[in-house]
Amino acid sequence: MLEPKQMSRAVIVGHKSIFEETVAALHKANLFQIEEFNEDNSGLRIGRSFENIDDVSKKLVKIRSIASLLGVKDVGTKKQDPKAVVSTLDDTLNRLDTELDVKTEQKGKLEAELKEIDSLKKELLPFANISLDLNFYRGYEHLSVFTGYVKEDVGVAVSRITSSYEIFYDPKGGTLVLFVTKDKSTEIADLLAGFGFRELRVPSISGIPSDSLSSITSKESGLLKQIEAIDAEIESLKDKYADFILASNEVLSIEAQKSETPLRVATSDSTFIIDGWVPDEDFVELERIVKAATNGRAFVSRQEMTKTDEKIVPIEYNNSKVAAPFQEIMDLYARPRYKELDPTSLIFISFPLFYGMILGDIGYALILLAIAFGLKKAISSDAIKPLMNILIYCQISTLIFGVLYGEFLGFSLASLHTDHGVTEGLIKGFATVNLLASPVGGEMITFPVHRTHLVMTMIIATALVGFIHINIGYLLGFINENRKHGMSAAIFEKGSWFVIEIGLIMAILSYAAILPSFTTIVGVVVFLIGFLMLLKGEGIKGPIELPSLLSNSLSYTRIIAVGLSSIYIASTVNLIAFDMIWQPGTPIGVATIFAIIVFISGHALNTVLSIIAPGLHSLRLQYVEFFGKFYEGGGRKYNPFGYIRKYTEE
Amino acid sequence: MVTETLTVMDPAGLKAIGAGLAVGLTGIASALAEKDIGSAAIGAMAENESLFGKGLILTVIPETIVIFGLVVSLLIIQ
Repeated sequence: MLEPKQMSRAVIVGHKSIFEETVAALHKANLFQIEEFNEDNSGLRIGRSFENIDDVSKKLVKIRSIASLLGVKDVGTKKQDPKAVVSTLDDTLNRLDTELDVKTEQKGKLEAELKEIDSLKKELLPFANISLDLNFYRGYEHLSVFTGYVKEDVGVAVSRITSSYEIFYDPKGGTLVLFVTKDKSTEIADLLAGFGFRELRVPSISGIPSDSLSSITSKESGLLKQIEAIDAEIESLKDKYADFILASNEVLSIEAQKSETPLRVATSDSTFIIDGWVPDEDFVELERIVKAATNGRAFVSRQEMTKTDEKIVPIEYNNSKVAAPFQEIMDLYARPRYKELDPTSLIFISFPLFYGMILGDIGYALILLAIAFGLKKAISSDAIKPLMNILIYCQISTLIFGVLYGEFLGFSLASLHTDHGVTEGLIKGFATVNLLASPVGGEMITFPVHRTHLVMTMIIATALVGFIHINIGYLLGFINENRKHGMSAAIFEKGSWFVIEIGLIMAILSYAAILPSFTTIVGVVVFLIGFLMLLKGEGIKGPIELPSLLSNSLSYTRIIAVGLSSIYIASTVNLIAFDMIWQPGTPIGVATIFAIIVFISGHALNTVLSIIAPGLHSLRLQYVEFFGKFYEGGGRKYNPFGYIRKYTEE
Repeated sequence: MVTETLTVMDPAGLKAIGAGLAVGLTGIASALAEKDIGSAAIGAMAENESLFGKGLILTVIPETIVIFGLVVSLLIIQ
């Protein structure tokens, strides 16, 4: 439970004639992680891919390009029979490819046509209001034609130069068409330049421009409709072939993975040697599978694990299903190393515990519980599920502490009677019960616990919780150190902390006159012994870290501090909504609606904060204060050779 | 005639100011420290996403400053 799975280093050896069968069997078993082979002086070479790789990768490229063209999404579909997929693969792929080719070609043609029409339309538009056949614009021997934009009507100015001219002007668009005799063309050109003349190309078609325009527009809408139809056909192709594409992509990916395996494996002229890792418990199964697939012609042998092996062993968690979601939190930090304790099961207890101690509100617990269950149901993603499970565990803890604290959305459920007066509770007639007087701050511990009236006690209590948590960390560190470097290293490096703590506690207790006064000296002596042990164990680093004993414990006071900040935000929202804007009992009106809006949006904000703040702080207490005492991490993920099929059956 | 008014500082008010300063100043201190670490952590994450966990831890380490500030201010108000 507190350790990763035991692994074995296994080597599979056989003749090349059974290479493919062995690889196929290993791939199907999905429990053997291949250790990549690097060529050295041993005379062994990296193998060559199986023959079908060219064919498979060609098809794979094709299918993936089609998938991206059609925009096929990963969706959960019914699993298909891989044999059926393989048998129809070539035909279907070719059919799909040609169909798609035809469609894309048609679409491309139409789009080119559309583009042409579009540019013609742009050319025609300036002439739309001049109803003169476009044929009359060209083909003259003695006439010059000026077509273009001018800033204003130039008719009067032109008439001053020559009387033999014909002018068309569209005052709306500023288009000018001017016919003059050739001999005057230079003068006219100069004149026009003064009016900001910009030449326009005359479209190379015939007919009245406005007529042509309307016919072009109708043609354009026709083309657009055709393109839409083709798009719809492509979409229907996608619907029709999506399952096929997903399934065949999977089948081909698996084939490619298998065919490329020799590139990771050592081979000689006629043998192959696959080196890798398998969980201890699965070794027999691996042996059986390989033997069965090759009629006993391949040999599986277990290798002795060396010191260098221990550094590269892939790590597979070995936790109960309940605690498994917290492996995500471990992975976020680092996987444990092979000989290290795996603290997942401890995080499973302490993370939700601290989260609940911080938040501790029945209302928020119920809201977040509903959100977590809803998201878990709505999103089937494997990445989201563990996170939602963690959230659910945290909310259960929050609910328990919510009952203990008697809080609901920032309201206290029970009324509190103190010497300073009465603090009203939400439930009429429900009052706190005095349990015992707290030794600090002159406070009274009650049930439900009123956190806002027990600040001193809670600060001390949370620091004590921290002290215990840290010591569990030292204990785990002791075990880890004992495994890695032996008993004496463990005693000096981690055991010394316990000696120091005992010395300090003795000294403090006798100072507080709980123990007889001579224990002060005993305490100091014990402390000094611990100090020297630490100095031997950790070197100069040890004494430098000594103050962390205090600062780390005090760091756990964040449990009450962050909790109080959450309460104050919530109760401020309540105060604004139901005291400042509208008091319950007064007539219902616009203010009531406004108060409810403030109430809902304020608590929505605090709900979001209720995930982030307690979550982060609880996480930090694990990572920094707890892990710092014993955990190194840095293990490699166990990633067995195989494939988790989503679209096809095994 | 000149009247002399005597003003007395209210101890409770001074306590409140002290508590406010304790939270406010430590908040600024945390922010200054986290700003640098946070931007560096995001830079590192852009290079290598698996550094998220370590980045997060490093970023929230200075958070302790403001937590201590909050605890101290609670002690002042008591």
